[in-house]
This record gives sequence, C-alpha cells and structure tokens, in this order.
Amino acid sequence: MNDQLTARLAGPPPQPGIFDELSKREIRRAMLSGIAIPGYQVPFGSREMPVARGWGSGGLQATLSLVGEDSRLKVIDQGEDAGVNASNLRRLVVSHVGCEEETDTRHADIIQSRHRIPEQPLRDGQVLVLQVPGAEPLAGIVRDMDEQRRMHAEADYAKMWVRLYEDVVHNGLITAAAGYPVLVEGRYIMTPSPIPRWDVPKLDRSEAITVLSAGREKRIFAVPPHTSVVPLTFEDRPFEVEHTPGAACRLCGSADTYIVQEPAADGRFTTWVCSDTDFCRRRRTGDAPAPAQPVQGETA
Amino acid sequence: MTAVDDTGGRAARAAARLVERARSGGRSAPLDTEQITERLGLAVDRVMGEGGLWAPRLAARAIRQSGGDLPEAAHLLRAHRTALPRLGVTPPVPTGELRVVRRISSAFRNPPGGQVLGRTLDYVGRLLDLLPEDEGRARSTAPGPDGNGPAAGPRPHAHEHPTGTPHTHEHPTGTPHPGTPHTHEAPPPAADGVERTPAHVLSVFREMGVVAPPSGAADPEPYDVTRHPVRPGAPRSAWLQTMARADTGSLLHLWYGSDWRPAGHEVPGELRHGALPVRMTHPVTGRPVTVGQVRVSEVQTFHSLPRAGELPMTLDVGYGICFGHNERKAISMAGLDLLLSHHEGAADLQHDVLLTLDGLDSTGYVQRLKLPRHVEFTSVLERARAARGDAPHTGDTA
Repeated sequence: MNDQLTARLAGPPPQPGIFDELSKREIRRAMLSGIAIPGYQVPFGSREMPVARGWGSGGLQATLSLVGEDSRLKVIDQGEDAGVNASNLRRLVVSHVGCEEETDTRHADIIQSRHRIPEQPLRDGQVLVLQVPGAEPLAGIVRDMDEQRRMHAEADYAKMWVRLYEDVVHNGLITAAAGYPVLVEGRYIMTPSPIPRWDVPKLDRSEAITVLSAGREKRIFAVPPHTSVVPLTFEDRPFEVEHTPGAACRLCGSADTYIVQEPAADGRFTTWVCSDTDFCRRRRTGDAPAPAQPVQGETA
Repeated sequence: MTAVDDTGGRAARAAARLVERARSGGRSAPLDTEQITERLGLAVDRVMGEGGLWAPRLAARAIRQSGGDLPEAAHLLRAHRTALPRLGVTPPVPTGELRVVRRISSAFRNPPGGQVLGRTLDYVGRLLDLLPEDEGRARSTAPGPDGNGPAAGPRPHAHEHPTGTPHTHEHPTGTPHPGTPHTHEAPPPAADGVERTPAHVLSVFREMGVVAPPSGAADPEPYDVTRHPVRPGAPRSAWLQTMARADTGSLLHLWYGSDWRPAGHEVPGELRHGALPVRMTHPVTGRPVTVGQVRVSEVQTFHSLPRAGELPMTLDVGYGICFGHNERKAISMAGLDLLLSHHEGAADLQHDVLLTLDGLDSTGYVQRLKLPRHVEFTSVLERARAARGDAPHTGDTA
C-alpha cells in the first residue's frame, strides 16, 4: 500500500537516455516565448547533447522536446535525408523516442534541418527546426553583448543598415551569401540560420512554425505561422537569390529549385543537382508540383 | 512510409565499427577501468573536472571509450550528466575542512600548518624512463629508497628534503603505487604529525589586515551556469563555475596570454589538494549528513594590483578550485579570478572567460567545420562571382 502510494507520488520513472522531461519542458517554454515574440532570441539553459556542439545540439534539443511516439520526423542536412549527419541525428532521436522516420516533406510533422528549407511549401501543423551555428545577426557589427541587446530592444539597427550600405558602395552589391539577415514582423532583425538566400522567401508568411535553435549559444528564436519575414535590402537594390543562368538539375531537370554543383565526367564542376533530394525524387516520378517556370533542360 | 535512404547511416555505422575495433581489437589485453583510475589518475581527474561530474569509474569508461581523447571523454561525461535527475542541492562546505594530501605555500617558508609536499612531479627530473620493460616492472614493485615508489629514469633521483621543513610524503607507509584513488579518498589520520586541515594563509593575511576587502556585490545564491546562459556582467559565482568546468588548456592560455596580466606576477599563497566531504540535509532530522567526498585542488593567489589614486597597500585575492588533482588549472583559474575581481566591469575579459573557455563549445565549434556545407558554399561562390561582375548582376529577384 505504502509502496503504491510512493510510486504514485513519484510519477513514472525517468526515461534513461538523453534528456529528462523537466528539461524538455524548459525547452518548450523557451520555444513558446520565441513564438510569442517573433524573431526575439530567448536565452535557455542549453543542455549537453550526445553530439558535438555545432552539429545540431540546439536543433536536437528542440526536436526531442517536440516529438512524441506518433510523430513523423524528417531530418535533413544540406537538403539530403541520407547524409551522414542527418542519418545520425535521425537515428539518435528515433532510438530515443521511438517516433517514425519520414523523408517525404509532406508527411512529416517535424523537420529538423541544417542549412535548407524544403522546396515543398510547408503546411499548417508542421514545425521546421533549423540548426543555428551563430544566433546573433549583430555579432559581426558590435562585439559587446549588452550593446547587441540594447540595439535589439530599441530596434536601433542603424549600424546594420550602414554595414549593408557600405557593402553596396565597396562591392556594388550586398555580399551577404547564406544566412542573409531578415526583419521579422517589422520588429526584430534575425539570422535565418545559414540557409541560402533562395530559401529566405519561404519563411515569409509560412503556414508552418519555424523554430531556430542554437545549442552552443544557448538561444532559441522562432517565426510563427503567417509572420512577415523580409530580407534587409534597399528600395533600389532588389533582394537577389542564387541563380545560375542555364543551370538545371541533371536528374530531374528542375531549374526552379536550389541546385548545387557536382563534378561531371570530365572531373570539372559543370553539372548541377537538386540539393533537396526528396523533392528531386518526387519531380522525377511526377509527384511534385510542376515547375514554376519552363525547365531549361540539362546544361553541358 | 517511404523507404529511408540510409547511405549516410551505413557509413556512420561503419565508422563506429572502426572506432570500436581500435578500442577492443589488437593483441593487447582489454583495458580495465580500474587500470585507468589507478594508473592514469590525472587523466581521470581532468575529465571529471571538465565534465563537471565526480565519478571516477564513469570518467575511466569515458577515457577508454574516447580512445584517450580527454576533451571527448569530458563530453561523454557531460552528456551523461545531462540525463541524470537532480536529487538535491548540498549545503556549502567550507574548504577549511579539506583534508590535504598536498599543501604548499609559496608565500611563506613555513606557513601555519606547514608545507606538505605530497605527490608531485615538480621535483622529479623530466627524464624519459628508458628502462627495459621487465626491469622497470621489477623496480616498480619494490618500494623506492624513500618509500615513494619507483625512481623514474635510469638514474635514481633523490627527492629533496630540505632540513627543518616539516614536510612529508603522501604515503609514508611505503605504498607501492602512489596515487591509487582509495588512498586519496581516505587520507591517513594525523598520526604522522601532519596537520591535515591547516588554516588558510588567507586568514593570516586577514589578521594582518593586508587583504583588500571583497569587491563587487554580494552573491549569496550561486548562479547556475548549467541552467542559465551567462553573458558579461554575470556574478562572480558564474565565472568561477565556468572556469571550474573549463578546458584546462584554454584556461591556461587565457591566463598566460592575457593582456590584463599585470607586471610582476601573483603569488599562489595557498595550493592544496585533498578530500572535501559532501553533505546532504537529512530530510527527516534536518541535520547535515556526510554522503560522500570529492577530491579537489584549491588555490588562493595574492597580488598587489595598483588602483588609480591609491598606494598599493593591500593584496588582491584570486580563487581557483576544480575537481581532482589539476594544479595547472586551479592556478590559472585563481589568476584569472584575481584579474576579474580587480577589473570590475572589464567586459572583454568577462566575455573571454564566460564564453570561450568551455571545452564542449570550442571543440564543437571546430568539429562543425568538418560537416558538409556545399549549400552555403554554393551561395558564397555565387556572391563572389556576382561581385566580380562575370555573372548577371540582376540575379533572380524574389
């Protein structure tokens, strides 16, 4: 009787493994704070994970706090489900939680990603977890963390604008490549993590929740659904995404996806393939939305 | 569900098998954790310190699992620590209760409580032991001439015994293997006339009235760096915790290479290594109960740093403490604490101490460079081409 009572008071025994339930709750609270203040970096007590800090330890904490046994989890690195890092993280979560592995973006509940947002537009109910190596967009502009916080608090982004202006004056264009700074809901400047500029417009008014988690820097931030995300640029300098004229995926022929170079038969990097392997596969089987623009065919 | 392409997973598992082969393959006997805790005690101590967990056996496992890569072993211990429940918080233990196996003061020839040299490599010649294996083994089983185990090197190096200094060895009874954990954890009683809980030199300085009063705001409830991220401006307890878990090499470098280091140098007036009791408040009686003990290295360091408009009449104090026997770490930590306490509000120094010393952070950050980043690199190349002007400037506007 006494044993039963103490067992009931103590609750279920803690799951041995990576992460205790209280810690997960703390991470979920940080995520909720982030959703409540879009683009604001919420400090959290980042835990040590079984992966190196910088290998998705922040994303892993967010994912582990969100998945349940019936969740379908997709993990990608550079757009690929099959990469060593993506496979490793997926295996880790699945073995810990017992959720379902998924590669089809449409059927995934939670998508953890490094450096890419899937080509398939995300829908209501999905959560995209992006791994963030450097959370602070002002880090290269001012070093003092108090000053960074003040600038965010007062929305004093003059120095950021000067930096972009100097870029235009010196180089003729804004040279920021991946991780292009964005303004979230007209309030906070945020790094979208090192996604290519190609993916930045997908964040704007997305149907899904985007959670960005930096384990080493111990910060979580988020973009809730239907939130405006605007890349910083000047009126006379339209935002430019990556584009190589005439290049298209050698496998599916798409010219409207993010493509990366591959060595051709001659050993030179002259061919291109989709970075999003799931979308590429579906294009080939006719199971994906049609190209938004005419496919230009294979390049040499 | 679509079949998951597991190419990467297979490669990762193959890599794990190769690691396993290096760990347990080969012709030599498998490595016992007891061998590691006994023979490589300093490595175990370092891993426990950087891992922030007192668990010699687990640390030995971690060292074995990581193939001797100590920062990696500290990571294993930390990740394990994350999964452990927090059962309680121990009441503070004054380090005056530390039962020393080694205690030296470079500030006094004969400090109150005496010098206890203990086990140290400081006075052992750094000569590579080139004895044939069997001969070396035969010697190590016979106690050395001074009861302190084998004499390293082809020539026996006699330890210095300055006459008149009350100083003793850690193992006066001639234990064949100095440094076994259990002898550390239970220092012999004071029958040998050694003061095992000597008063701190600091208290002597306090009586003399030469110590600067503690600066800064009171910090009664310790900041918990494992639960709350830190940034410059954090209280002293935060930087002390951060340094206690810091990577030893990084901590040493930050102290050694610091622009803040004054002319002259601090004096570690107190350096001790020994066992501290761990107590819990009994849930029923409310009284403290000793539930275990940990070994720590503790350093109090002194220096007279000038303040603008003041004559340097008082000493600044720096404090360092870490798990296990790691004097390099404790001394570096005390040196940095002294600088941080003296230069209040030095945001740059605080930034470096709070945010760059963690071994997991720094090793993770460098490991991460090995991950594929062709998506990012494609973008960088495109911008470089665009800036050069050999690609259309307009790009694709979105």
